[in-house]
Amino acid sequence: MTKRYVLVHDENKCIGCQACNVACRSENNVPESVTRIQVRIEGPYGNFPHLHFKYNRVSCEQCENAPCVKVCPTGAAYVNDDGIVSINEKKCVGCLYCVAACPYKVRFINPETRVPDKCDFCKETRLARGEEPACVTVCPTQALVFGDANDMSSEVRKVLDTKPHYQQKVNLGTEPRVYRIPSRKGGIKA
Amino acid sequence: MKLDRRTFIKGAGAGTATCALATLPGSLAAFGDSKLQGSAESVASICEMCSTRCPISARVVNGKNVSILGNKKAEDFGGAVCARGGAGHSQLYDKQRIVKPLKRVGERGEGNWQEIEWDEAYALIAQNLNKIKAEHGAESIAFSSKSGSLSGHLFHLAKSFGSPNTFTHASTCPGAYVVAAKAMFGGKLKRDISHSKYIINFGHNLYEGINMAETRGMMDAQMEKGAKLVVFEPRFSIVADKADEWYAIKPGTDTAVALAICHVLIEDDLYDKAFVAQYVSGFDEFAKEVKAYTPEWAESISDVPAEDIRRITHEYAAAAPHAMVDFGHRSTFTTEEFEMRRALYAANVLIGNIERKGGLYFGKKAASYNKFAGETVAPTLAKPGVDGMPKIDAKRIDMVDEQYAMMWSSGGIYQTILDATLEAVPYQLRAWVMSRTNPMQTMTDRARIVKTLQKLDFVVACDIYISESAAYADIFLPESTYLERDEEIADLSTKNPAYYVRQRVVETIGDTKPSWLIWKELATKLGQGQFFPWENMETLQLFQVQRDFDLLSKIKQDGYVSYGKPLLLRERGMVRDFVNTYPNAKAVDEDGTYASQLSFKTPTGKIELSSAKVEKMAPGRGVIRYREVTMKKADELFFIQGKVAVHTNAGTQNVPMLANLMSDNAVWIHPITADLLKISNGDKIKIYNDTGSEEGHALVTPGIRPDTVFAYMGCGSKNKELARATGKGVHCGNLLPHVTSPVTGMNLHTTGVKIAKI
Ligand code: SF4
Ligand code: SF4
Ligand code: SF4
Repeated sequence: MTKRYVLVHDENKCIGCQACNVACRSENNVPESVTRIQVRIEGPYGNFPHLHFKYNRVSCEQCENAPCVKVCPTGAAYVNDDGIVSINEKKCVGCLYCVAACPYKVRFINPETRVPDKCDFCKETRLARGEEPACVTVCPTQALVFGDANDMSSEVRKVLDTKPHYQQKVNLGTEPRVYRIPSRKGGIKA
Repeated sequence: MKLDRRTFIKGAGAGTATCALATLPGSLAAFGDSKLQGSAESVASICEMCSTRCPISARVVNGKNVSILGNKKAEDFGGAVCARGGAGHSQLYDKQRIVKPLKRVGERGEGNWQEIEWDEAYALIAQNLNKIKAEHGAESIAFSSKSGSLSGHLFHLAKSFGSPNTFTHASTCPGAYVVAAKAMFGGKLKRDISHSKYIINFGHNLYEGINMAETRGMMDAQMEKGAKLVVFEPRFSIVADKADEWYAIKPGTDTAVALAICHVLIEDDLYDKAFVAQYVSGFDEFAKEVKAYTPEWAESISDVPAEDIRRITHEYAAAAPHAMVDFGHRSTFTTEEFEMRRALYAANVLIGNIERKGGLYFGKKAASYNKFAGETVAPTLAKPGVDGMPKIDAKRIDMVDEQYAMMWSSGGIYQTILDATLEAVPYQLRAWVMSRTNPMQTMTDRARIVKTLQKLDFVVACDIYISESAAYADIFLPESTYLERDEEIADLSTKNPAYYVRQRVVETIGDTKPSWLIWKELATKLGQGQFFPWENMETLQLFQVQRDFDLLSKIKQDGYVSYGKPLLLRERGMVRDFVNTYPNAKAVDEDGTYASQLSFKTPTGKIELSSAKVEKMAPGRGVIRYREVTMKKADELFFIQGKVAVHTNAGTQNVPMLANLMSDNAVWIHPITADLLKISNGDKIKIYNDTGSEEGHALVTPGIRPDTVFAYMGCGSKNKELARATGKGVHCGNLLPHVTSPVTGMNLHTTGVKIAKI
């Protein structure tokens, strides 16, 4: 892998405003009834007055060891050499194995194209134009950092090297490339 | 939106809000398909999905949709937009949007419309307005508009027509802090949140009621610069969640806590004596009054522990002057609104944070900035005036009581339209022309607004959708959305001068017009075209820049231009930078600042902690004082409302993408209260009081005081034209009584309600 694109979601900075959700829809033409990303405001947890919300980004985790890729019989689901788990629409036979296999439940059938769809780090749209992913660009509070973790001088590298972070459901061995900086208040609740 | 106690907002996905209506006359659906035509290159413009009006950059993608992002040139805004801003295109080509003028057929408010041509619309309006003017005088017609951008064009029409009765939504939203600032400082102040080291916040929920520059600034201050945030709010909002300390203060008691903070600052000798000596008038009276307001006293009223108020005040003073008490935004809590805002400002004055980093400051527009610099750093804009505007003798309808004098020029007291129509106080109103304003939702006592609209002889509404208020119009004028309009250059100065401009991104869809053109064309029909001599927006823009073509093209190209260096008059480092940059700059004081240049447009020329002027206008109110208020009956619960990040008050509930994110407002109830009322999460409930009754459902959550219930405002429309929003959630305006707050003239937004399971 020449590049290893990763995304960091800082739960301290996230305010659950859904700007990312909306920008992703516009940029990637995501139909109304489905979604590539949601940020769920969950909670409040804790006991009054020591409450806290959790800001849970729900989108493709870009697994290093991706179950969706493993089960795909035709190679339609594949990992690029930029580390982005991608979909080759032409090779897809619509068996839906990948949708079933994804432990994060973030794959869906696009009602317009009728093939599996999910977050692809805006590879076809914004990355192709040399821009950052839409969600990263619009985030009002700069809660998202995106970049090549193989690049030692990149912002993501710096963030991952200096801030405590976690990934979701690591016990499954999927090795997600979406990292989360836990909220100071909430602690790690993966 | 699926309701789940653990999830307040779930992003889009589920419940697709589809069109429940047969095709509405005048709607885009009825107009037939029109292709999106516009620039594939990014155009710099200004958002209009809320009142902040962020600089944006937008382009048409494959003739299919519009990508809207922030304008990177505007640094404070960081190139970001919020969900509302990003969804602007979904309003643009929403099939339910109205793109053809409409005439009411059938009863007013009944929802029967007929498409007409613009000419006929203008003719009908001119005929009715001129008739009313001839019989009863021009002053019997009220004109109201959402503040800012094109509102000036409607008010210009009102004046040339001869009516003094122009109103904005000030008294339903931002008026109070403006009036209080006028009384104390002689003008509006801004917040330098991003440099603040200690922020005390009374429910100004910047993380849901997003104001991009301030929201970003506060997060940056908190996360990157280690600022401490203390929040007093009855509800566990997002800003409460992000705070270092949150206190579930009793609704309407903010004044008590703010005054207790002032008490501790004075009694514990923590205040800035030099600042007070130089800039403040009325300190002694204030200090005498505040002596009684101990933290223990405040605790008994507000439920905020006295020792915490003391400790927080000491921490706040230790961070002075780079600290602030946020003076808030909408939150019209009580009839003591004026005292509350003044108490919040007072806590800033006492630590001397005016014109200091992280404190409060006056905006530096080009004219004053250039004077300091001794040269023209930033161009000034010209204001077009027209000759021979008629002199208006009639008094405004809200001029019945002198205590409201400061509000008259700040937007007026909107709700007096109801009194004047229903009770002829001070005289009879007969018609109402409204532009992009939705009082049916944002004003109080909805039933009274219905009565008013039914009683009037003639009602005109100009808007994008048939809003709940527009539903009662005789003539509906479809306005082009902001993505289809050019506008005048606007001032966005903060610590240094800045300008920006709205430009069209797509060709007009359907048969709509920008409202500046609508009012100009109507003026011609009314026989007063001579007062609208400009041909189009370009003429006006060129006039503004005094025919400096280069300047205009730079502003248009970049969308946002700023000049000079940030300047705060009492911040030595900034003043040093400033004079080093501008050799002809005004001479600095001995201490290296411009402190001696700081003046206030009040009668004493100082900050008036106590004010003889206010005392004269409203006897007993010269000195800031705590007064007890009754907002609910003993057996009722407090009812409070607030903003959510995906909607703008009552303006966006029908926008498809946003309706899809949130279409409903559940009522937050504490588990203990819910238990007593035998209400479980998700239950259908009735929420009612003497003013009205609404049905909704319960969200049982510990994030609210047991004596209080909360709902996001703006939902529960009652007109069938807003197909996605109607009948969803509770309509707050239907539960709020008609009460006007002294001096500020504000609508009251807190009351008591009862709740029952149904
Ligand atoms: S845009 Fe940023 S702050 Fe808003 S929900 Fe998305 S990640 Fe969170
Ligand atoms: S999160 Fe799901 S869709 Fe994404 S790579 Fe992992 S398994 Fe595949
Ligand atoms: S990276 Fe692109 S596709 Fe993925 S969630 Fe963000 S905006 Fe959507």
